[in-house]
Amino acid sequence: MSVNQAAMRRIVREVTNLKKNPPEGIRVQTSEENIYDITGIIEGPEGTPYAGGYFRVKFRFTEEFPAAPPRCTLITKIFHPNVSSSGEICVNTLKKDWKSTYGIEHILVTVKCLLIYPNPESALDEEAGKLLLENYESYCSRAKLITSVHATPRVRPVEFDTPSVSSSKSTTPESKSTLASEASGSGSASITAVSTSTSITSPAVSKPPSKTSSSSLPSTASFTLPIVTTSTRKSASPAPTTVSIPLTSSPKNLGVEKDGSNGTGPVSINKDRHPSPSPLGTADSNVASTKPVVPATGAKAVKRAATGAASTVAEKRKKALKRL
Amino acid sequence: MSSNLGTKMDIDEAAIDEGLYSRQLYVLGHEAMKRMAASNVLIVGLQGLGVEIAKDIVLAGVKSVTIYDTEPVTIQDLSSQFFLRQEDVGKSRAEATLPRLSELNAYVPVRNLGGAPGQEISVDLVSGFQVVVLCNAPLAKQLEINDWTHANGVHFIATETRGLFGSVFNDFGEKFTCVDPNGEQPLTGMIVSVEKDKEGLVTCLDETRHGLEDGDFVTFSEVQGMTELNGCEPRKITVKGPYTFTIGDTSGFGDYKTGGIFTQVKMPKIINFKSLRESLQSPEFFITDFAKFDRPGALHAGFQALSEYRSQHKRFPRPRNSEDAAAVVTLAKKIDTDADDKVITELAYQATGDLSPMNAVIGGFVAQEVLKACSSKFHPMLQHMYFDSLESLPDQLPSESDCQPTGSRYDAQIAVFGKGFQSKIADHRQFLVGSGAIGCEMLKNWSMMGLATGPKGAIQVTDLDTIEKSNLNRQFLFRAKDLGKFKAEVAAVAVSDMNPELSGKITTRQEAVGPNSEDVYDEAFFNNLDGVTNALDNVKARLYMDQRCVFYEKPLVDSGTLGTKGNVQVVIPHLTESYGSSQDPPEKETPSCTIKNFPNAIQHTIEWARTSFDDLFIKPAQAVNSYLSEPNYLENTLKYSGQQKEQVEQLLSYLVTNKPLTFEECIVWARLQFEEKYNNDIRQLLYSLPKDGVTSTGQPFWSGPKRAPDPVTFNSNDPLHLAFIVSAANLHAFNYGLKGETDMNVYRKIADSVIVPEFTPKSGVKVQINDNDPAPQNNAGGDASELVSQLPAPSSLAGYRLNPVEFEKDDDTNHHIDFITAASNLRATNYNITPADRHTTKQIAGKIIPAIATTTSLVTGLVCLELYKIIDGKKKLEIYKNGFVNLALPFFGFSEPIAAQKQKYGDTEWTLWDRFEFKNDPTLQDIVNYFQTQHKLEITMVSQGVSMLWSAFVGKKKSEERLPMKFSKLVEHVSKKPIPPHVKYFIVEVMVSDEDGEDVEVPFIVVRI
Repeated sequence: MSVNQAAMRRIVREVTNLKKNPPEGIRVQTSEENIYDITGIIEGPEGTPYAGGYFRVKFRFTEEFPAAPPRCTLITKIFHPNVSSSGEICVNTLKKDWKSTYGIEHILVTVKCLLIYPNPESALDEEAGKLLLENYESYCSRAKLITSVHATPRVRPVEFDTPSVSSSKSTTPESKSTLASEASGSGSASITAVSTSTSITSPAVSKPPSKTSSSSLPSTASFTLPIVTTSTRKSASPAPTTVSIPLTSSPKNLGVEKDGSNGTGPVSINKDRHPSPSPLGTADSNVASTKPVVPATGAKAVKRAATGAASTVAEKRKKALKRL
Repeated sequence: MSSNLGTKMDIDEAAIDEGLYSRQLYVLGHEAMKRMAASNVLIVGLQGLGVEIAKDIVLAGVKSVTIYDTEPVTIQDLSSQFFLRQEDVGKSRAEATLPRLSELNAYVPVRNLGGAPGQEISVDLVSGFQVVVLCNAPLAKQLEINDWTHANGVHFIATETRGLFGSVFNDFGEKFTCVDPNGEQPLTGMIVSVEKDKEGLVTCLDETRHGLEDGDFVTFSEVQGMTELNGCEPRKITVKGPYTFTIGDTSGFGDYKTGGIFTQVKMPKIINFKSLRESLQSPEFFITDFAKFDRPGALHAGFQALSEYRSQHKRFPRPRNSEDAAAVVTLAKKIDTDADDKVITELAYQATGDLSPMNAVIGGFVAQEVLKACSSKFHPMLQHMYFDSLESLPDQLPSESDCQPTGSRYDAQIAVFGKGFQSKIADHRQFLVGSGAIGCEMLKNWSMMGLATGPKGAIQVTDLDTIEKSNLNRQFLFRAKDLGKFKAEVAAVAVSDMNPELSGKITTRQEAVGPNSEDVYDEAFFNNLDGVTNALDNVKARLYMDQRCVFYEKPLVDSGTLGTKGNVQVVIPHLTESYGSSQDPPEKETPSCTIKNFPNAIQHTIEWARTSFDDLFIKPAQAVNSYLSEPNYLENTLKYSGQQKEQVEQLLSYLVTNKPLTFEECIVWARLQFEEKYNNDIRQLLYSLPKDGVTSTGQPFWSGPKRAPDPVTFNSNDPLHLAFIVSAANLHAFNYGLKGETDMNVYRKIADSVIVPEFTPKSGVKVQINDNDPAPQNNAGGDASELVSQLPAPSSLAGYRLNPVEFEKDDDTNHHIDFITAASNLRATNYNITPADRHTTKQIAGKIIPAIATTTSLVTGLVCLELYKIIDGKKKLEIYKNGFVNLALPFFGFSEPIAAQKQKYGDTEWTLWDRFEFKNDPTLQDIVNYFQTQHKLEITMVSQGVSMLWSAFVGKKKSEERLPMKFSKLVEHVSKKPIPPHVKYFIVEVMVSDEDGEDVEVPFIVVRI
């Protein structure tokens, strides 16, 4: 590793800072043995199918840093149009739009943003892209399933025991909107205001004009099998077996699904997590107060959102962004 | 020589040897090289300058090179003529030079025009050549020859070097056509609108800058609606903004609908050259250094005066003789009353000087001008160029007596610098990092300069590489017989032959510089150096050497070339910033989704093909071997989440289910790969993202940069399809050690007989049910364990290994580039992208850096001009020069190095060259205390290498444990690795804060143990 001294100081300084004042929903993990062995942890943003999950981004710095971006891989499995099965993340920030002033935090915030605003038009996982475009509900269910199975630990990562800095401090609304259009693929940045804005799962609003037959399949039908498969597979493992219950009860009732998967974890964690829309406890308090529309529990969130008007949806999107 | 001339020329005309000329072809292109292959070049005057030009042209490859110099070799010639030896003294220069020049390139016959001793070149001798170059010829002779060449359409160059001065004059005739004035790739880009207007405005896609300039020409393709633009005659543009330009009247055309690509068309430029006679009166100067704006005028007069002095006195002014110099100044003032006395005086002082670095600069430049004259490629220099490096003179100027000839081979250098400085050069100790193109030229210059020939002098050279064919085109110390040998060794022998005084002074090594060789290149090694010269081909090693030089406080000269572009950077301890202080932004990478799903340029499909090459022929075989040889490979692999199932599936496929037993099975495999990549995957993508799909905003999904693909149906009669089958089958066979096949009919027959399974696109919804079922995180087994059970136990296959392919771009028989070309072009067919030929594909896939001997020669000359300053130990920043050149334009630019940035802690100013030093293996507490008591600074973080030794976050327990530890123990404790015996010190970084708790930057710390 021949990162030069200036770059090394910069990395260490930034990591130190990130540990001292972590931004909302973002933490870093480091190793004493290797300063450059840095893993970012992004908490799945509330109101997205990734909520409840913790997504790990592995950083690899080259000697050209900061002139060239670090290589970043999502090492937690995720169902997302802009992340490939091997964890490649397709964001311009990490490629053609990289600036040497960017750092670890910028990358993590960008990826977090991508979780809120997936960009089907620069799909790496075209199946996820297709679903997002054609059948938001299915996309959401599947993303939630993958999140619950792969990204939801029984115990919240210890890094999140450190409270984050107030969200208002971290970035201005202007910079958010630029971030929001980061998802790349030379395509236009006008990413599907409708479909993504309904990240609280409102099929009525979210469905973009559907074309292919698959999207018109009743979503319940599409979910009969996964339940079976999942439960079979779970039963063969020490992992939670209750996942199947929320899924059978209603594929739309995604909030419950989350609860279900959490329900198998230690009770104390459950308690911590239930009262708040986010597992972030104290750090979230300020967010919660500015967010009257977002209901207190996931289950309710689904129902409200399902009936929500477009304006509320837009508001929610704004809120979701603010919470970054 | 002349007997086999005919056959050699036949070879030359038949085809360009792409193996030899590979790197240069990427600079000049096939067209230009074909024109060069029709040009006969005459070089008159074979001293240091002439031989430099001749060397570069022979390497570059023209039809023939003829040399003319009837003068006898003198001992002074050996100061810079690297193809002459002591025993040649007295022979005719051309005759003595000929055999060594001829060795450089079997495709270029080199002839001696002959002539009686003392006979001057004359008009009757120069006919039959396309280019005539006069080196160090008197002005009258230049005029005589140029009058004839100008009238007879022969390209003419006159050039001269006098000590630290050089001049070039070009006359390529009255209507010279330049086909490519800048050597850059034609610009191209996607457009989103064209107005129907008297001045039709074109707008580019998505705020991508078009990069065009007023007066450029463009044509179009794939425009819908305004189809008249497709393939139109080149239209002249006017730039309206970074994203817009106008193309003239479009009012009569159809309405623009969508799509379209503009492509720049390079228009030939006609240049009218003046004859020398005319140009002397009204010269057009090519400026080499804008800080010396009045030099060209002065030197224009000075060189003429010098020639006049020479013809009057039948000799040049004596070194640093004020009487002779005054006479030259008087002559110069007659030509130009404003001419700067000081400059003319120095020119006169140095007139008998002949410096290898200056010849390298001017010679490399002139050689490229010769190639321009032959090929019409790149813009010629107009018309007079004057260059000097007076800053290279020692601060303590030599006296007249110090510069008198001594009968040594260095006399022509002593004439400029004096004997005192010559012995400094001789006792200098340099480390040359790399012995490739720049390294070879550098060693040549050093051997001529007599660098390290003294009692204390020493040259260290390292290069890990061995010699390959494509090196021979410009790494001129290597011959075909040296292929496969270590570069540093061969180069050292070659230059010790050029200057026998170097024998035993050069130490060669093969260890690459890097953290792993610090036992070789240790403190003692660096303490025995006066400086380091980089001759590297990668940024990583440059940055590493830079750090070493900063640490050991050694001057460093770095240089590099890219085609016709070159640069030199000087790093002087405690004066300039270091190489790593400022970095060029690296090339931006293409987003992965563009490569995977939405390619729109051939670069994208080539990158995809290159990745496919790894994924098919390298990684799986490596994985199989790891599985078979590493005891816990599977367990370790399966630990990492996400990919375990895919990896086991791949192992199973390569080791069991799809393992071929015959070459026929490899062909079948290749045929199925074809189907999957160019048909099934495309159909799947179109299923997921249909052609008529729209985005949420109602725009067609497949528009703009997203080109909708079409599946390709296999046809064994299509050469491209067959090329894929042949290369893929052979590479697959290589993995399994199976023998290939040469009969195309076999490939065709088997490929046609393959029963390809019917493909049905997987429905997205069902996919999630059946296929991608995620394995729960805590259950790494799952169905992966079922698969694992099908794998044969490694013990059952003891000794069995696959052969992973090692990518080698320069072997034309190994199918590597063939596969990548076919794979890329098939994908380009999918996406209706214009395919690229093998040559272009090879450059992009192999990340080949274009290179030509001319640029290298020039750049190393500039490096050595800086080296004179370093040897002198100059301390003034403005004396040093970082250089930038582009021979294609041409362009020279020089800048003062940037001073090392000053920072402050307390009242102490510091730069990157400062450090704290601790001896005798102190404890961490000692260091903390030192900063507290001496500087009132609180340490918040301590790191060494990649280890974080201590920080304010570690907690009380760890702090109490670590603070009292001796530093060496602490490093071992945290890194969990023993300290290698050669390590005598650590470089430690700390973060500190002042009494107000503010972060303060401090220098690094050296802790000696």
